[in-house]
Amino acid sequence: MLARIIRHEWRTLSADSTLWVVGVAFIAAIGYGVWNGARWVGFQQAALASASAEEAERYVKLQTEVDDLQRTGGKVSPFRDPRSPSNAGGRLGPRYASLPPGPLAALAVGQSDLLPYYFKVSTDSRDAVVGATEIENPQRLLVGRFDLAFVLIFFYPILILALCYNMLSAEQEQGTLALTLSQPLSLATLTTGKVLLRATVLVGLVVVCTLAALVIGGVDLAAPGALARLGLWVAAVVAYGAFWFGLAMLVASFGLRSAANATVLASAWLVLVVVLPSVFNLVATSVFPVPSRMELVQAVRAASDDANAAGSKLLATYYEDHPELATGDAAQAMTDFNVVRVAVNDDVERRVRPVIVRYEQQIAGQQRLVDGLRFISPAVLMQSALNDIAGTGYERHQRFLQQVDGYHAAWRQFFTPLIFQKASFTDYRTTPRFAFEEETSGRVADRVTPAVLGLAIPALALVWLALARLGRFPVVS
Amino acid sequence: MILRIARKELLDLSRDGRFRVLSALVLIVSVVSLAAGWKTYTDLAAQHRTAQLATRDQWLNQPKKNPHSAAHYGVYAFKPASQMAMVDTGIDPYVGVAVWLEAHKQNEMKYRPAQDRTAVQRFGSMNGAEVLQVLVPLFIVLMAFSAFAGEREQGTLRQLLSVGARPHDLALGKALGVASALGAVLLPATALSVVALTLSTSEGLLADDPWRVVTIGTVYLTYFAVVTALALWVSAWASSARLALVVLLTAWFASAIVAPRVVSDLAAWLHPTPSAVEFQKALEADLNNEKDMKERLDRRRDDLLKHYNVASVDALPIAFSGVSLQEGEEHGNEVFDKHFGALFGRYERQNRVFQWSALVAPTLAVRGLSMGFSGTDFGQHRHFVTAAESYRRDIQRTLNGDIAKHQQAGQVYMAGRELWDQVPAFSYEPPTAGWVVGQYAIALAVLGAWLAAAVVLMMRAASTALVD
Repeated sequence: MLARIIRHEWRTLSADSTLWVVGVAFIAAIGYGVWNGARWVGFQQAALASASAEEAERYVKLQTEVDDLQRTGGKVSPFRDPRSPSNAGGRLGPRYASLPPGPLAALAVGQSDLLPYYFKVSTDSRDAVVGATEIENPQRLLVGRFDLAFVLIFFYPILILALCYNMLSAEQEQGTLALTLSQPLSLATLTTGKVLLRATVLVGLVVVCTLAALVIGGVDLAAPGALARLGLWVAAVVAYGAFWFGLAMLVASFGLRSAANATVLASAWLVLVVVLPSVFNLVATSVFPVPSRMELVQAVRAASDDANAAGSKLLATYYEDHPELATGDAAQAMTDFNVVRVAVNDDVERRVRPVIVRYEQQIAGQQRLVDGLRFISPAVLMQSALNDIAGTGYERHQRFLQQVDGYHAAWRQFFTPLIFQKASFTDYRTTPRFAFEEETSGRVADRVTPAVLGLAIPALALVWLALARLGRFPVVS
Repeated sequence: MILRIARKELLDLSRDGRFRVLSALVLIVSVVSLAAGWKTYTDLAAQHRTAQLATRDQWLNQPKKNPHSAAHYGVYAFKPASQMAMVDTGIDPYVGVAVWLEAHKQNEMKYRPAQDRTAVQRFGSMNGAEVLQVLVPLFIVLMAFSAFAGEREQGTLRQLLSVGARPHDLALGKALGVASALGAVLLPATALSVVALTLSTSEGLLADDPWRVVTIGTVYLTYFAVVTALALWVSAWASSARLALVVLLTAWFASAIVAPRVVSDLAAWLHPTPSAVEFQKALEADLNNEKDMKERLDRRRDDLLKHYNVASVDALPIAFSGVSLQEGEEHGNEVFDKHFGALFGRYERQNRVFQWSALVAPTLAVRGLSMGFSGTDFGQHRHFVTAAESYRRDIQRTLNGDIAKHQQAGQVYMAGRELWDQVPAFSYEPPTAGWVVGQYAIALAVLGAWLAAAVVLMMRAASTALVD
């Protein structure tokens, strides 16, 4: 029986030319979204390639210079000497720590256009190292990208609601419902059949089109973790769709007229997708306000002043700026100064740390609050799931920052003893390198699962409620 | 007649439960967003004051040092929040709040507040602008979609026209009805925002620039008039109320949700920007162009030798090290102007695409204008960046001039408080509303054209509307 209903529904739906137009528009939106995401991934990869090319070129030049100096015993200003470990670890030899786009980054731009994905790591303070950002027109950041996540979060529910809002009410209004139900068929089976067909077609459309777009867009699905993430992505798409199908079923089960159904569903969409997420942002930033970073700037400044006053001599500060002007044994003065600077930097970092921790705590507080609130809005749940799957959300970036912190510490540990020993640094190949340690698919799944369940459980509850209510449906009014 | 029609529309709406729910929603959201905006502004203003005073204090209380060390120590310039940001925060979360003004280098503004927020911000932040640009048009659509089409379906349109109601009066009356319903919701919110603006500073109401309030008000009123007229046009044109609603909701979704993103992509495609690595590489290549530097310095040296009629720099009555430092600055300034100028120029060309795209959707004109008159658009960000940079250049000139004057050969010259005092505190004067009008000539013209077109369309559709 179910099969017969599905067949019949397909015939009815496919005869509707409007649906074909909307379907084609939807496919186009999916294709454009994936293409746009893939283009952004391409931009990031090009930027990272350009960064590592710059680094490699610089390293070759430095090494050649070192080798020449060693061979010829030539003289060079201590300020520019590539053999000085302080110069090497500071101005001359910084390496890039980069966060490569995840295997499915093309699926959701997320926060990746806002949060920096490469840093030039040197012995400079942490603040100077992680302060860099990618270039982007702020107005574009404000607007956001037209990526697949946008299509799924905003369009996909509208399409579901448009397909379902009158699935029972139209038949009721045309009088065919009573006729159909005069057959040995329950209303629950009829509704299930209608929803099953619509869901299969729509979810199938999303999955197939996305896969096709990914393949055409040149995304490597054989990359480690890609398939596992793709599985999570399909689960999220199914669960998000199920929520909206469930909602449409529940509303349909009340037996209101088509126009009333449309109003209720459109309002639900407006509140859940547009209003609530915006309000969450307001709530999160009001409950855990992050003070302007102007305060941080001042804290760093004050700490540096104190440290400098205590740790270094006035003359050394002067040499810092222009050591070539120093008379007498400039090289000696320079090394002494470098030793002092290491100490000063450490001291500043120690003093500023509590201030930075305060900022981080507020941001983490916001994140915790939103992680809780998101269960009220399927759109926010979906966004968090998609960002996690694509690797463009908060957690993966935090992971990157932590690894950069570790690398920054390792970099300093590498150079500090050399600076103190006043050693001559002759082999640039030995400087530590950074490689982002990608999170396992298991960890991603751990974070995505609650979101998917947060969509699937309400979805099942809605379906169950709807089926229970259908017993009281006013077939003949 | 028009008034009587308007009164009837208003009465109809006030009896509609949907209208009451929606107006309550808009009112609540407006008040909440206003309260949040007020809090953010007052916090930010206080933090800004503290930071600005502290950086000045640090500058003045430097120990005795060589002026060039002081130049490297530098000062910070902090971007002040505009009072109108309570209405529209614009791009403010997405640009840095502080810039370090030091020797040799034009630094970028650092610390974007958006980096300190969660991903949910990408749905938007419920500020006044979002209510006015996204929710209010929806509200208008829901009030107006059945104005003609509904009457036609009920058969009352024929009756109305048969008793001698002129179609134009009908259209204007209905527009007025929608406007008064809207006013009932927005007037309290506006009154509250005026109170909030008054309380937010010690200078009282409109300490900023009263014209900004006037212009932004006009822009939004014009926008609402456009939306109302277009909605009535569709309602008169559509064969059924349902069709009118579907068309209007699709248009709302397309212009409020989809269009900004599509236009943003289009703008980036037409005027691409480089990655930070590429930008830095090009900048440094020019900055480290030693040939350029040397030629410039040689020219300056020859000029000075000729001017003072001496044979060598040692014989000059001024210290050449100061001159040389200043020449380095001048070289850098040219490079910075070239590169940052090109980058900012690209942003502005991208933003002009946004303005032109308003031809397709009036919302896009309003987005820009609202940010503009709130002082939170890119143009005014650039205005601040330019002011801060020119302050930096003034500092360098003062300090290097002092070196040239006092530095003696073979000794380290130390300056003190008198010199620090010669550098004035940084004070920033934001541009006037008139300046903003100039920036948004395209958007204003397009919005005006929309108003004219929408009213004409509405009037024509009303008089040619099918009676049943």
